[in-house]
Amino acid sequence: MSKITIDPVTRLEGHGKIEIFLDPDGSVENVYFQVPELRGFEKFCEGRPVEELPSIVTKICGVCPGCHHMASGKAVDGVFGVEPPPTAKKIRELFYMAHFVHSHIAHFYALAAPDFVVGPTADPAERNILGVIAKVGLEIGGEVIRQRRIAQEIQAMIGGHQTHVVMNIPGGVKKGITEEQRDDIIKKAEGFIEFSKFTMQIFKEVVLSNKEYVDIILNGPYSLKLHSMGLVDAANKVTFYDGKVRVVDTDGKELYKYSPVEYTDFVEERVEPWTYLKFPYLKKIGWKGFAEGQDSGVYQATPLSRLNASDGMATPIAQKEYEAMYSTLGGKPVHATLAMHWARLVELIYAAEHCLELARDPDITGKELRAPLGKIAGEGVGIVEAQRGTLTHHYWTDAKGMVRKVNLIVGTTNNNAAICMSLKKAAQNLIKKGTPTTEGTLNMIEMAFRAYDPCFSCATHSLPGKMRLIVNFRDNNGNVLRTMQRD
Amino acid sequence: MQTIRSEPSILILGMGNDILTDDGIGPKLVSDLDRNRIPDGVTFKEGSLGGLELLETVKDHDEVIIIDAVKTGVNHPGKVFTFTPEDFETTLHLSNIHDIDFLTAIELGKRTGMKVPGKITIIAVEISEDRVFSSEFSEGIRKQYPEILRQVQDIVGTLLSCSRPRI
Repeated sequence: MSKITIDPVTRLEGHGKIEIFLDPDGSVENVYFQVPELRGFEKFCEGRPVEELPSIVTKICGVCPGCHHMASGKAVDGVFGVEPPPTAKKIRELFYMAHFVHSHIAHFYALAAPDFVVGPTADPAERNILGVIAKVGLEIGGEVIRQRRIAQEIQAMIGGHQTHVVMNIPGGVKKGITEEQRDDIIKKAEGFIEFSKFTMQIFKEVVLSNKEYVDIILNGPYSLKLHSMGLVDAANKVTFYDGKVRVVDTDGKELYKYSPVEYTDFVEERVEPWTYLKFPYLKKIGWKGFAEGQDSGVYQATPLSRLNASDGMATPIAQKEYEAMYSTLGGKPVHATLAMHWARLVELIYAAEHCLELARDPDITGKELRAPLGKIAGEGVGIVEAQRGTLTHHYWTDAKGMVRKVNLIVGTTNNNAAICMSLKKAAQNLIKKGTPTTEGTLNMIEMAFRAYDPCFSCATHSLPGKMRLIVNFRDNNGNVLRTMQRD
Repeated sequence: MQTIRSEPSILILGMGNDILTDDGIGPKLVSDLDRNRIPDGVTFKEGSLGGLELLETVKDHDEVIIIDAVKTGVNHPGKVFTFTPEDFETTLHLSNIHDIDFLTAIELGKRTGMKVPGKITIIAVEISEDRVFSSEFSEGIRKQYPEILRQVQDIVGTLLSCSRPRI
């Protein structure tokens, strides 16, 4: 029996790697962010009945399996030329609201709050969720766990399993919701709303009342002027499950609004030799490099982009918070990267409110769960908003519905160029020649990309887990000067 | 007066993804353990997520045995390791990118009044491939699988005999 010291929960050796290139005088010249590649997903899918994909794709990402299940279910509907009946669509969307609630709660308390509640340059041993609850109260920690668990329970109840979801079938869902389940979900959703409002209050008290933090958000090295993408409903309000993709420019003016099946007319992907992860950009503008501004083809698809790309929120409390955010930050659109945390909390409130709306909807306990299948179209596209950005699944099949080809553009991939640019901007501003780079500096650089809630596991068609982050400092000949690692 | 001693609640948890080549070895081993050699009352589960999700999975158990894959790259594929919580000292309290690390999750559970396992053991198998989508093991792991299973079965048996001594 051998024994070594390693964290086995970080099971995958895959890690994110930031390469910072310094010029001869020690200033930052360039920054590259790289992630490991996972191979063979398309081959794994080829030749399978397309209706198997919604269950398979829940295994390509442990972080947002429900998002893949939804996008996949919609793409499969497209392949079979079928539109689910209203009850089935609402059941899917109800599941999806619970998925957003659990994910946004986890991100705020585990990943965003430590930087603000404990402090961006605080001792890393304290700068975590334990440090957060030490400051805001133990009972809050218990409530975070409880509310997250309740959201998972709703997903398990509707989806068959909270992670390996099996609810979507071509043209609908496998099972309906009983009156008892509806009553249970209503109570749970009421709790989500209260907890979401409470979380927003913490954000306001801790972050917005601290002038230093507001200054970091607005004037720090975290602003990036790019176009914004998000899914909107018929009234141009934010929606997560179904709608059209809207893109607004850096001034907030609508550039495009298109149906999911049209996405290839508007988005194209670019390959760079130094990373496996592709760089989507706006096709009609073209790739103009890693550049900010109105002429750039780079866009963002984040919680903040979703709010920028919309005309508002579809629920009352979220709408009020939407207005408060833009009023405080100087109007739409907002380009402050760290404001993504605020936008995420506006979305948390929306997800909680919409969860309650759907649970109270008379259709939700309807019995018509599936529409008759149409003729196999041989191609289907499903687009939803994942927590991390717009998620696209595109499938091609033969006449019998067997998979021929698969293409995915996942939430984080949309933001690949923006993340690289955010990291470079932060590094250039925070690393000063002649000044040692501290762990606090490193964390403040990392904050630039943590705001995106990046999940490279599915971006590279990978699986769960936790990425170690390695930062290499290199001279302009590529020699490693120093390496810092964060687990 | 007779003392009634309740049996500890033990969970054996296989972690991994069964469509990523060798990554699924944990769940496969858990499903292949000879249940006849394991006392009644032990719970078996599969999972693939760390952090808060793992906390929810292990809570309310006295003892947890996690069977997982590991990729150190310096040991031969198929080598079986046993870890104890002391091995985690270097990663304790550090934040992570997607979620919190396991021991932070356990500590969070403790501080918020949850019942968390008092004993955690991780049996890890060195694997060679976890970046290719496949529901088959790599050749090296496939060939050694019977021996890996035998070793894991023995380790589990030893751990359980310590937890539930025959009286």
